Amino acid sequence: MKPKQIKFIIGSGLIVVAVGYLITTGITTTSKFFFTVDELQAAGSQYQGAGLKVKGTVVNGSINRNPDNRLLVSFRIEENKATLPVTYKGITPDMFEGGREVVVEGTLGTDGVFHANTLMTSCPSKYEAEKEAGKTHPGSIPYGKDKLPALESPKILPEKTTI
Amino acid sequence: MNDIGEFALLLALATALYGVVSYVIAFRSNRVDLYLSADKTPIIVWACVMVSSIALWRAFMANDFSLQYVWAYSNIDLDFFYKFASFWGGQKGSLLFWTLILTTYMMVVHVQNRKQNLRLVPIALAVMMVITLFFLVLLNFSTNPFERIPLPPEDGRGLNPLLQNYWMVIHPPTLYLGYVGFTVPFAFAIAALLTKNLDDGWIRLTRKWTLVSWFFLCMGNLFGAQWAYIELGWGGYWAWDPVENAAFMPLLIATAYLHSGMIQEKKDMMKVWNMSLVLLTFIMTIFGTFITRSGLIQSVHTFDEATLGYYFLAFLGVIVAFSVTLILIRLPLLKGKNELDSFLSRESIFLLNNLVLLGIAFATFWGTIFPIVSEAFRGVKITVGPPFYNQVNVPIGMVLLALIGIGPVIAWRKSSWSNLKRNFTKPVSVAAVGGALLFPFVPLTDKSEIFTYITFILCIFVTTSMVIEFMKGTGARMQAHGEAAVTALSGLVWKNKSRYGGYIVHLGVVLLFAGIAGSQSYSTEVEKNLNIGDRFQLGGYDFIYEKLLVKKQNSTKTRVIAQLGIERDGRRIWTGMPEKEFYKGQNQPVTEVDLISTLKEDVYMILADFNPETSAATIKVYVKPMVKWMWLGGWVIAFGTMIAVWPDRLEARRRTERLKRQEAIFMPAQE
Repeated sequence: MKPKQIKFIIGSGLIVVAVGYLITTGITTTSKFFFTVDELQAAGSQYQGAGLKVKGTVVNGSINRNPDNRLLVSFRIEENKATLPVTYKGITPDMFEGGREVVVEGTLGTDGVFHANTLMTSCPSKYEAEKEAGKTHPGSIPYGKDKLPALESPKILPEKTTI
Repeated sequence: MNDIGEFALLLALATALYGVVSYVIAFRSNRVDLYLSADKTPIIVWACVMVSSIALWRAFMANDFSLQYVWAYSNIDLDFFYKFASFWGGQKGSLLFWTLILTTYMMVVHVQNRKQNLRLVPIALAVMMVITLFFLVLLNFSTNPFERIPLPPEDGRGLNPLLQNYWMVIHPPTLYLGYVGFTVPFAFAIAALLTKNLDDGWIRLTRKWTLVSWFFLCMGNLFGAQWAYIELGWGGYWAWDPVENAAFMPLLIATAYLHSGMIQEKKDMMKVWNMSLVLLTFIMTIFGTFITRSGLIQSVHTFDEATLGYYFLAFLGVIVAFSVTLILIRLPLLKGKNELDSFLSRESIFLLNNLVLLGIAFATFWGTIFPIVSEAFRGVKITVGPPFYNQVNVPIGMVLLALIGIGPVIAWRKSSWSNLKRNFTKPVSVAAVGGALLFPFVPLTDKSEIFTYITFILCIFVTTSMVIEFMKGTGARMQAHGEAAVTALSGLVWKNKSRYGGYIVHLGVVLLFAGIAGSQSYSTEVEKNLNIGDRFQLGGYDFIYEKLLVKKQNSTKTRVIAQLGIERDGRRIWTGMPEKEFYKGQNQPVTEVDLISTLKEDVYMILADFNPETSAATIKVYVKPMVKWMWLGGWVIAFGTMIAVWPDRLEARRRTERLKRQEAIFMPAQE
């Protein structure tokens, strides 16, 4: 191999190393554990204080807004019979309501309450409402609710409501 | 009509199958009769898919809810345009739409190359046909858009209100045109490998296809960002969601290829590299489709049909294995004639640009799949979010920006120090002066602001070096032809379309970088609970909450509007009207933001919550500088690409001559 080529290999190697370094430090400083509510509960207090993302379904009727400051919200999320109380400050997405699957990002306090700084809802709401309304359609009864075709998410469309 | 649509899909499948087999046999055994018969299939397949698509569109327009797909994504009251766009609103229709674009491209490739480039085209068409086959199998046997509901309901479920925005009509098709377009260079690359025609012929043949696909993908991403910004009311435009990343990665790799392809054309080197990039671009589009359709990666988007993910995974596996094997087998033939001469050359800047672009793509890829990797190796799902991508990609992106300025002014092959000094003195000093002038005005309190400041300096550097390039060329023409400045400038661009079109694209990219940097770093926001008459301040604006209006728009839509008076220096400049819309039969409102958008900054107002009894409201306001620069950058990129791909007579003549030379090699009998 000619010295010139070696020079280029070393140069390219340096860039690769730099990018690798940025990626590793990026992951160690910003990554968050991802759990469903029951997984988090099974892990006990192990992850208290760590950066977490938790997925669960909002318990019907559990949403409380502080009457003095409507931006302060508390609610509970559940998954496989495990529940987790959550507090959140900020605007809630349009689709945030009981029964909706959400992902919250934040930390678990020693009191067992999850303090979320991000709240994301998934899947458009419209269909749920329509599904119930659909019952009144004579034509849709034989199709059965459990047989309703699964809803697909439109590809690539940013259906996200992050705050 | 539904039966016809369904049957057409089946017919397309059969024809495509015949097409693949007969193209390959005809090519291998040089059978002209078979070739002529195979050569009819691209048009037949396209026509079948078209008929099928028209049938589905008809079902939408006619409110034919006996189709499960139409029922799921439309209803009687839906606007005409959204009925049209609902076609690609869900899984099944979007796959049909994909196939429609793919077969249309195939048909165009066929027509463009009728009895030309016969060393490559039959095999390239066969490759495209194989890919079409995959989608036709899905459409026929897994996600049939013509699936019926036995007893049709009276009305459909309707389209998600978030999708009922004019961007729904523009954004997905744009993105798909780009995404699918990369199939063409892929097919030609595979054809070149299979037939051992490994000179730069395939690169030249697909250069414009790549450029056009790149353009659509770029625009598709920008349109998506704009849609998210306007419609979703979270004040952002890009969230590094897996689905966004899926569209971002092929764009980066294609950008790398567009640059390194030039080196192969000019210097006959980096053949393996270019081949790999083209294959990788296509692989990333399939990978992106796989992750968006499989539900393997937690995204805010939900994906229910996990089985479809496996189809794509299998397809992906086959393509990757096939591509890698093929490249390895042909490795001895992919040796370039030249090698890099010097660090200080345009070639090495291009190489650097490639590494940097791939670095961003890899970081994005790694972040996207990290939850799966960590679960496999550590047993815990670990996710990374926007902070990761920003932390990693921003510094690499800044290097990329600097390279945009350096590349065009550094000489090919080997640059001397005096050449460097001559070319860099002006841009560097202008950037230094610009940086000094900016210094008193920009905040530099944290890392992000310092990065933004550096980005601005780099933007000035790149812009100056581009302007000098234009001035040099214009000056030379003015002297040589005695033309006036404007004539000389337009003549310069027109005579060297791809070069100066490319430079204009670079200027658009500079605007994009500046807009991203400014809006990310200097954004300020406030959330307030307000009663009528309350005031607050943000970013030099005074806001007065004046009243809460409830308007019944029509029988299905009610709007609740918070009226905000906006003052600047004591003078009223605007009345802000952020609102929530309530649709009949739906539990949740749709938030509609209000926006004052200027080149300096956007004032972005959200009505977060309200109390109809007391008229109290919760308002969130962002002041985001320079957002408009991004959208403007997009238009400049569009303009530049348009110039670069505009048909060039000189180039066309060169191509015909080249083609004539090729004719002799594989000649189907003249009819």
